[in-house]
Amino acid sequence: MTTKELKRYQPTVLTLLLAALAAGLAVSALLPVTLSEAISLIWVLETPLMPTFAVVHFSFWPRLAMALLAGAGLGLAGVLMQQVLRNPLASPTTLGVASGANLGLMAATLFVPELLFWGREWVALAGGAAAMGGVFLLAWRSDLAPAVVVLAGLVMNLYAGALGMVLLLFHQEALKGLLIWGAGSLSQNGWSDLEFLWPRLLFGALAAALLLRPLQLLTLDDASARSLGASLKALRFGGLGVAVFITACVVSVVGIIGFIGLAAPNLARLAGARRLGERVMYSMLLGGLLLASTDLALQQIPGMLPTLIPTGAATAALGAPLLLWLITRLSLTTPHVSRGLPPHVASHLGRRSAVLMGLTLLSIVIALLLGQRASGWFWAGLESIDVLQWRWPRLLAAAGSGVLLALAGTLLQRVTANPMASPEVLGISGGSAIALIGAIYALPSPSPAMLLGAGTLGALVTLGILILFNYRSGFTPSRLLLTGVAITALFDAVRAFILAGGDPRGQQVLAWLSGSTYYTTPAGAIGIAVIAALGVALTLLFSRWLAILPLGGEASTAIGLPLRHARLSLLTLVAFLTASATLVVGPLSFVGLLAPHLAKMLGFQHARAHLLGGALVGALIMTSADWFGRQWLFPQEIPAGLVASLIGGAYFMWRLARI
Amino acid sequence: MRTLLHHLPALFTGWILMLASALSSAASPQWATLDWTLVETLIALDAPLSGVAQIDAYHAWVDKPRIPDTAIDLGLRTQPNLELLADLAPDAIFISPMFSHLTPRLSRIAPVESLPLYQADSDTWQEMQALTRKLGEHVDREKQAESLIAETMALINRLKARVSPTAPLLMVQFMDERHVRVFGENGLYHAVLEQLGIANAWQAPTNAWGFSLVGLEGLAAYPDAQLVVVEPLPVGVEASLAESGLWQQLPSVREERVITLPPLWSFGALPSAQRFARTLVSALEAQHDD
Repeated sequence: MTTKELKRYQPTVLTLLLAALAAGLAVSALLPVTLSEAISLIWVLETPLMPTFAVVHFSFWPRLAMALLAGAGLGLAGVLMQQVLRNPLASPTTLGVASGANLGLMAATLFVPELLFWGREWVALAGGAAAMGGVFLLAWRSDLAPAVVVLAGLVMNLYAGALGMVLLLFHQEALKGLLIWGAGSLSQNGWSDLEFLWPRLLFGALAAALLLRPLQLLTLDDASARSLGASLKALRFGGLGVAVFITACVVSVVGIIGFIGLAAPNLARLAGARRLGERVMYSMLLGGLLLASTDLALQQIPGMLPTLIPTGAATAALGAPLLLWLITRLSLTTPHVSRGLPPHVASHLGRRSAVLMGLTLLSIVIALLLGQRASGWFWAGLESIDVLQWRWPRLLAAAGSGVLLALAGTLLQRVTANPMASPEVLGISGGSAIALIGAIYALPSPSPAMLLGAGTLGALVTLGILILFNYRSGFTPSRLLLTGVAITALFDAVRAFILAGGDPRGQQVLAWLSGSTYYTTPAGAIGIAVIAALGVALTLLFSRWLAILPLGGEASTAIGLPLRHARLSLLTLVAFLTASATLVVGPLSFVGLLAPHLAKMLGFQHARAHLLGGALVGALIMTSADWFGRQWLFPQEIPAGLVASLIGGAYFMWRLARI
Repeated sequence: MRTLLHHLPALFTGWILMLASALSSAASPQWATLDWTLVETLIALDAPLSGVAQIDAYHAWVDKPRIPDTAIDLGLRTQPNLELLADLAPDAIFISPMFSHLTPRLSRIAPVESLPLYQADSDTWQEMQALTRKLGEHVDREKQAESLIAETMALINRLKARVSPTAPLLMVQFMDERHVRVFGENGLYHAVLEQLGIANAWQAPTNAWGFSLVGLEGLAAYPDAQLVVVEPLPVGVEASLAESGLWQQLPSVREERVITLPPLWSFGALPSAQRFARTLVSALEAQHDD
């Protein structure tokens, strides 16, 4: 057999290996029941069953079938997404389906619980469909161009996520059940969920089969595809629609299962599946087997833990190292999202920066002086000057972290030439968040200093990992982002697992994660402001590199830029900026994603202007968000990071829809 | 000297005023707290509360004892509104160690006392009494604290006499239609069961708050246990349970002897313990009579 032939069988070999693993795990998970007994228990008629047999019939088999089916569905959705969006980073949850479903369920639970009588699946489906509809609406005018769809999906994700977080923060007790759903549990106690899922998945798979041939055209670039007579818009709508439908069905039944939809298609491709048809088949097989093996392995963990380990969180956690390993092997030659949004024509930059500065000043004055107390609204005067001691550190921290995140985001988006890039995506925030969660849970009564130390350590370790895995490749942007995605996936897994357990300390984790300036000390606020000022100065020094890097690696080298050196320095700077901001306002503010885009939309195009404009926008968003958050539901406070996502996200969507 | 004499009347009146204000605040000191377990205990001790975090949510989840209308909502337990709290100027702020990272901020407003309950590897029943005594000392209500403890013990003894032999209890609360919290060691319910001399079927490891999170299939391993479901049931769960093959197979369900208890704060102190003991024993009796 030649090596070429060997290569052809690689996907089959991988599939068979995984199937053998799953079968082995299944046999041992069934103990003490033997396999033949178990098989005879798939169809039973006589009841009541012995308890051990009842578990096999009503729990083991439906659960295994559910894992295979859900995994296959997510694998299929993943291939479709990656094909249509031409981005190996795309996954079934990219377009906000899961967060839409999550938000729908939360809102229904709190405000219209009657809806849930019809079945949770339907509410989740409706939420997912609404999010998807929003994404399509935003990207409709640009013919569902991948770059725009991806951006719309990102912003939808963060919008629904932020709204969900607000609800969760204020109604943690009422929503505790949904946290388990959010962590993706495959636990079954009957066959009804399976009966809901399989006809829908079959329908989705048939639709995908019909689309297979036309979708192959999307491997070509837009012009060639069009010249072959394809309607790109219809094709994209069809492909994404099917993927989203499948994802929504899976998510609505078993909750959010991370990673499978991202990993299975990449694994299939890595194992050698090239043509779309092959990739679809192997992604489904690998997805199902991956999920089933993970789930079966989890069932072996005896009752040593006081909580169950939700499978969705576990796949994400196990998947992160696997993804890190994959990244070093994946040849990222696929056409990549490189063009961001079409620029807004820059005409009145001077006037615009003046307006921005004026608005920022105004928001600072209002945030310092206008507030509420038990008796109502009041302007802080001389007699109530004491109240400023609570306000100025928060204000300074908000402005400072807004600047820092905006700078980090601008740097990153320019270095990677990827509009999806943001400090949150790079994993630095995620890494420091994992360390903080660890500290909150491991220490009986952690002091602020301990939390700060843990957060810094986490950020440094993450930076180390990023450098370690990317040094050899010279910090290729797409590889770098994938590394970040892996770390962020790990963070999502840790968070979902922690919250699903229902430990009351989850409140504290939530409060911190949602990005509040609440915990800022005066010293910390001054520190962050100084760092922000330094950051502006430092990044401006790099503005020549930043002007060249978006042109791409080859062009930059041709001009004489020391590519690896430049990327490493900028990356370190980004890590440093992000870590400082994360320690103050938590990991989820998304200012780092939004501010650079907003600055660009406002016409701040060139490197220097982009940096400064972004920084101003970041500061403005965060200061006004902090104030709104403190007044809106007084005396309850909505964290600035969440409000920033809501304000910034709304404006972002409005601009996006008009492209 | 002359200047001092000149100022004497002013100094004197100032001193009188200070004394008066000290006396008046000593007459009705006000306390603030972020922790619901401390809230229910403080109310049981009849200590005046000026600020409590998340009052609405307290009434939804702890319910009784009710918080007096004079108390002001401070916002989230994890992020109490500092401006508002400073405006209220309570005499002390009580927190649980979970919120101790707030201490540096809160102590700029008033002395902060951190009172532990539900710590890993300690006797919950003893902890609850110690907590009650400590709170009593802090708010100058030692006598009320002692009588709350004595009253609880007396209630437990009365109830214990009414309990007839029963199968070990499996106490669960539904999180959704597929998952339950099962209450075991370290928890309020478990501590009360021990006092009442009733066996708890759940002997698997629990977290510091005394519960484990398990899938519904985890209950099948205890066919002989008496199921006790603590409300509220999430919406839609009842309908899904009717269709759940496994649930319908559980002996307690098949024989229609599942006990349902009204909502109770599962992380409370003595007041919650009293309520739980009362409702549980009545429910057991009602079932016994059937």
